Amino acid sequence: MAGTKKRILFITMATVLLLFFIFPYVYMVLQSLAPWDQVDKKLFPTILTLRSYVFLKTGGGQASVPWIGSFFNSMIVSFGSTFLQLATAALLAYAISIIKFRGAKFFENFILFQMFFPTIIFILPNFIIIKSLHISNNYLGMILPLSISAWAAFIYENYFKGLPNEILEAAKIDGANEIRIARSIVLPMSKSITTILFLFLFMGRWNELMWDMIAVTDVKLKTLNVLLSSMFGPYGGYPGPLYAASVILSVPLIVLFIIFSKNFKEGMNFVLK
Amino acid sequence: MASKALPGKNVHHNDRKSRPKPAAIGWLFSLPYFVFALVFFLIPLGWVFYLSVLKWNTISPVRVFIGFNNFTDAIKSVEIKAAFVNTFIFMLIIVPFVMIFSLLIAIIINKLPAKLKGIFSVGFFLPYLSSGVATSLVAIGVFSYFSPFNIFLRSIGKTVDWFNTGWSAFIIICMLIIWKMYGYYMLLFLSSLESIGSDIHDACKIDGAQGFTKLRKVILPGIYPALMTVTILACGLAFSIFTEPYKLTNGGPGNATQTWQLIIYNESFVNLRSGYGAAIALISAVLTFAVLLFVKKLVEKWGAVNGWN
Repeated sequence: MAGTKKRILFITMATVLLLFFIFPYVYMVLQSLAPWDQVDKKLFPTILTLRSYVFLKTGGGQASVPWIGSFFNSMIVSFGSTFLQLATAALLAYAISIIKFRGAKFFENFILFQMFFPTIIFILPNFIIIKSLHISNNYLGMILPLSISAWAAFIYENYFKGLPNEILEAAKIDGANEIRIARSIVLPMSKSITTILFLFLFMGRWNELMWDMIAVTDVKLKTLNVLLSSMFGPYGGYPGPLYAASVILSVPLIVLFIIFSKNFKEGMNFVLK
Repeated sequence: MASKALPGKNVHHNDRKSRPKPAAIGWLFSLPYFVFALVFFLIPLGWVFYLSVLKWNTISPVRVFIGFNNFTDAIKSVEIKAAFVNTFIFMLIIVPFVMIFSLLIAIIINKLPAKLKGIFSVGFFLPYLSSGVATSLVAIGVFSYFSPFNIFLRSIGKTVDWFNTGWSAFIIICMLIIWKMYGYYMLLFLSSLESIGSDIHDACKIDGAQGFTKLRKVILPGIYPALMTVTILACGLAFSIFTEPYKLTNGGPGNATQTWQLIIYNESFVNLRSGYGAAIALISAVLTFAVLLFVKKLVEKWGAVNGWN
């Protein structure tokens, strides 16, 4: 009996705390649905309206603002960068941990070396580099400089080291080449770790502000996060649409996490070690 | 290590002539990562040192070599001094609070029935997914002049101009960062709490080790590695604050919420002082490294004194 009571106590505590911590999201959603004269003035709007969302859809303001386009820009940039980050990291880690070729030690140390440096010091030189490659103001300018992740390579490297050696050796003896082993053995075995890495990298890329702000000046190419940030001033007097845009910015990540939440805990346990 | 492993492998592979050498494939697989690293990591790394001794506005063809002037200017700058001091105040506020929230929630989730653990850990993790831009918008709304919160405060005779007052702007930024980050650290603590299995808890029961003794002899040593990681990560946070002050205060009022990243961004891309921006970036990188190393040593010492590591 004492056990049940204790359990109910903990469930109640967790629920209350969760409601408290989720409040900013609730606030965002409520304000995005509030009539414009009530935004930020009433915690719970008296009536709900989709006016803010319609406003975004119809181009927002006299000078049309490409809200919908910016959502797709965010998608293109985030998927592009994340795909490249995962692919380059997985290939490198495969070479280090499974092929164990002559350069393995060098690349292993290179990854560690890379992780020492805070990204902020590369912002300015990378800006100069994308300018000289003529890819500034371009999707590639946003995607390419953020398309390797030492962290992902490090996690993959350790994960691949832990894979059962017998299976890999057996496949080699059977005459399977590296590309086959990678595709039909290692890749399927790394599903949950890849899911977690994808979620974290995608999230980081989706919410990136500084780099996307610098790399692109054309309003048609701006990501949703950057466009939202740049509209604080112009929409200051009627922030309803800003809340609607914030909701649209937050929903994809929340949906992704809920879809993958089944693999979430097991994969996390590896990443966090 | 690698060279020792190789001869055996080569013998193994040489009896299949049709197959390329593993070394070749190894290099091939490493190539994409390395090409990106060369263009967007190694070359920029060289560039940032070169830039830091130049006076250059990013656009003009004229680049003037000015030696270490950028560094000496930076050290003398009022903004930099403010950012330097603020970083440590950010640490003093963010680290303990983020630690308390993440550990507390991890402990509560750990006590939940297995079926609910997953749902609650995802739920508590959601703030980590938020964009600093969106949360800044919420902060502006919640603390705006006609907000329910401020109307309530005025009704009890208090008026605070939240973003134009140094301490309140600072605390709001801290709150946003703590709120965004605790979820990640919570998972770290949760995974280490789970590693203290039920058999250990049972053993404690049999030996009569409960309460404070159990905390000191079983729980703390168990979560010590996570505690160390979280401390270092949370201290590192203080050096990478950008979005919130950028959207809320732009470092003001009077440098009260100035941060390293904000200065680097403003100097490099608003004031177009590339060389100066690069020098500040280097100073902040060295400082980050030194402080985190010091914090790591400190936590290690604390663990060693208590015999946890």
